[in-house]
Amino acid sequence: MPGFLITAILGAVLSGISLAIFAPYVTLRKVSYLGEALSHIAFAGISIAIITGINMNLTALIFVSLVALAISALARHQKLQEANTITIFLSLSMALGIILISLSRNYSFDLASYLFGNVLLILPSEAMMLGVLAIINTIFVVFFYKELFYLSYNPEMARVFRIKTGIVDRIFYMLLAANIVLNLKSAGIILVTAQLILPAVIAFNLVRRLHLAVVVSVLAAVLCAVAGFGISYGLNLPTGATIVMCQALLYALSFVFKRRI
Amino acid sequence: MIEIRDLNFSIAGKAILQNISLDIPDGAFAAIIGPNGAGKSTLVKLIMGLIPLQEGTVRIDSKAQTEWLKLNSFGYLPQREEYDRNFPATALDIVLMGIAGTLPFGKRCSKEHKQKAREVMRHTGIEDKAGNLIGTLSGGEFQRVMLARAMLSDSPYLILDEPEAGIDRPGVKSFFVLLKQLNEQGKTIITISHDLHTLSDYCSFLICLNRTLHCHNDMELVNADVIHKTFGDSVRLIEKDY
Repeated sequence: MPGFLITAILGAVLSGISLAIFAPYVTLRKVSYLGEALSHIAFAGISIAIITGINMNLTALIFVSLVALAISALARHQKLQEANTITIFLSLSMALGIILISLSRNYSFDLASYLFGNVLLILPSEAMMLGVLAIINTIFVVFFYKELFYLSYNPEMARVFRIKTGIVDRIFYMLLAANIVLNLKSAGIILVTAQLILPAVIAFNLVRRLHLAVVVSVLAAVLCAVAGFGISYGLNLPTGATIVMCQALLYALSFVFKRRI
Repeated sequence: MIEIRDLNFSIAGKAILQNISLDIPDGAFAAIIGPNGAGKSTLVKLIMGLIPLQEGTVRIDSKAQTEWLKLNSFGYLPQREEYDRNFPATALDIVLMGIAGTLPFGKRCSKEHKQKAREVMRHTGIEDKAGNLIGTLSGGEFQRVMLARAMLSDSPYLILDEPEAGIDRPGVKSFFVLLKQLNEQGKTIITISHDLHTLSDYCSFLICLNRTLHCHNDMELVNADVIHKTFGDSVRLIEKDY
């Protein structure tokens, strides 16, 4: 098997794992729309990188993290309704991205691969970065398990009982930004959020405890990454989209075994 | 002791609370009564620091509120807790929330904590539901889970916002009997309630609120005129219910 294929499979699996560890918390905290917005906001970060020539992942990561923190701070202080804040940042970032791309003379940049994702273009260093991200995600959800649990349950009551959620909330938003940015190349701006939601909703259809949901979410993501990669390779289909289709199919199947409360 | 001085609070220019000065002594079983929109929930949220103070001061155990809250918490039973019925938490998980804030990062609740939580749940009559998911509990059962959580926090102050909501009439009585026991064990209890009949049997201190404070004195000193001044005609509607 060619080296780039091994890197691509590894990239698809690690991408799935990193997103799937985070997915149950994104679902429980009902911030999937924020994930969707951040992936589009990353477009401005990518455009800045194209025009300045600075490392793309780094530029997009810094840009998206700053926007994510700004959104969380504005929402916390209730200066604006969260949905309005997110829409304003999303529109502004897309407008900025479109203007910068139109000004750029870098025609060699393949914008489509960032919009739709292309796991075959992943470099070994990027696959390694996804592995590191998966480890950081694991440490985060294990170490801050109780804070994340109660923050997801009810932030106001967590504050009443002095559960230290402030710093955990900020790290959560920064890691959400990192997960989206570092997975853009493999999953794509348009489809990355699907991989941040589907493994979790599959898991919550099957199990009712959070720690088990994280495990099932990861297993579902790995299964779909391998199956999706194989199908896309065999039928010459786009890999990211095929992986998402596999997750959607598994989600439909999970209803058969859905646990009832 | 909770000392409130010259408290004023408004939202978008509209006064919600005006000139509130009040002392709630240690060991009191205080009831806050008043019509809808009187500012009762706002007052307790201001006491607990859930809403930032605009004007006036709150001191708890002779310390400024912010200082006290750095090391202590209130045992709070909200009027209605926002939660997703599909949230993957058991009744025990929610009760343990009362103690989770005392544990450092990275540390989970131990077997001893769980044992203590179960004991408290036994007191509130909900121990047999400890392993049940919260989505399966009735309103009354969840109310008892929230009370167990407030008790587990081991705060000297229990603040309850309409605890009788969602409980049937006999349930309310046993609930207040339990609160009275806690009060006799030394807890200061502050409860918002509309249930004047039950309050008169258990409370020792009445706070009549209708944006301003109308009285704060021992229950027996509060006469019908004061109640009517606070509630207006709505008190008759309450009396009719029973």
